[in-house]
Amino acid sequence: MSMTQEEIEALMNDTVTEENSADDLLAGIDGIVESSESEDINVDDMLAGIDGIVDDESEVKSEDVNVDDMLAGIDGIVDDESETKSEEVNIDDMLADIDGVTDNGNEKKDEAMLPLPSSKEHKIVNQLNEVAEDTEEKASQIFDVLSLILDENEKVTKSNDASKEFISSQIELLEKLSNKFPNIALLEENLKKAKEVEELTTLTTDIVNGENNKIFEAMEIMQYHDINRQKIERVMSVIRKLTQYLNGIFEDDSNKPEIQIAKHISGDGSQTVDEADIDSLISEFSTDK
Amino acid sequence: MKILIVDDSSTMRRIIGNVVQQLGVPKEDFDEAEDGVVAWDLCQKNKYDVILTDWNMPNMNGLELVKHIRSAGSQHIKTPTIMITTEGGKSEVITALKAGVNNYIVKPFNAPTLKEKLDPFFKK
Repeated sequence: MSMTQEEIEALMNDTVTEENSADDLLAGIDGIVESSESEDINVDDMLAGIDGIVDDESEVKSEDVNVDDMLAGIDGIVDDESETKSEEVNIDDMLADIDGVTDNGNEKKDEAMLPLPSSKEHKIVNQLNEVAEDTEEKASQIFDVLSLILDENEKVTKSNDASKEFISSQIELLEKLSNKFPNIALLEENLKKAKEVEELTTLTTDIVNGENNKIFEAMEIMQYHDINRQKIERVMSVIRKLTQYLNGIFEDDSNKPEIQIAKHISGDGSQTVDEADIDSLISEFSTDK
Repeated sequence: MKILIVDDSSTMRRIIGNVVQQLGVPKEDFDEAEDGVVAWDLCQKNKYDVILTDWNMPNMNGLELVKHIRSAGSQHIKTPTIMITTEGGKSEVITALKAGVNNYIVKPFNAPTLKEKLDPFFKK
């Protein structure tokens, strides 16, 4: 929770000499919390504020139920699980008979053992930094466009004011002439037209002023770019701290050389050999020689 | 009336500058700095009538800048300084006030708010 501008005003009006006096003052204002509280909430707030971050567990559960319920309600849909299992067995048997076909699952295991990609584009903090910098640049460009529109509007206002001034003088003149020569219809007609044009210039001024106000509003809204950038920086800070923490947990300071890891350990699955397999392989090799 | 605007976001500097211009200060009369280091450097070279500073900035933050500004020997020891920041916690406001800021604005703010805060200094 943060302080509103009114609450800050209240704080400003009161001379803050001791923190306790401010505490008393702030205790009476709704919505102000101690920073320790807010710090506790910060990470949650932060995560809650990031679009797309939801409690996956509950979502998955609800999705399971929904999909099951949905499927149960549709005629002709049966549980494919058992069918798939038997198919899997058949495919495995089939593939086993074909020379040169290897188990992809095993390859995936090997891939998992390799270090994760650590190029710049895969680093989250780098990505977030890029997003922050890119949006800063784009925000600046948007600001340029808005500033240009403001400048152009100022030119329109100036030209319009000049036109208005001229028309006003014309109206004054036509009014005098019209009063002096009431029988000349053309004067009356032109006076009417001049007044219509004067109204149009007033309308143009109103439209341009309204447009300028909207541009100022848009510029104010652009402050959210800075606010959101700071939110991203807060996320980056959490990630950096987490990285340090995880590195601290996983780092090996024993200075022992890395030992080659076993590829297949007994119990891993069908890839491991038993004694009979070994004997058969030995005998196979013996006969080959 | 010479004004110094300090913020690491160029967009924010322009937004603040825009409001300041609306108050009648020509663009030539305000300087911009992207962090406390640049701002402190400018403060030593020029005399400002008002300083508007952000809090969270790289190299030197706004709070450190205010402490420098209010330090003995600084020509800006009494210069009105307004903190414009996203920091909206009670303890931050108190910290800033204790450091010597004259006023405090939480982002996002609107033009009338900044005008209202600046008006007393413009009238002097």
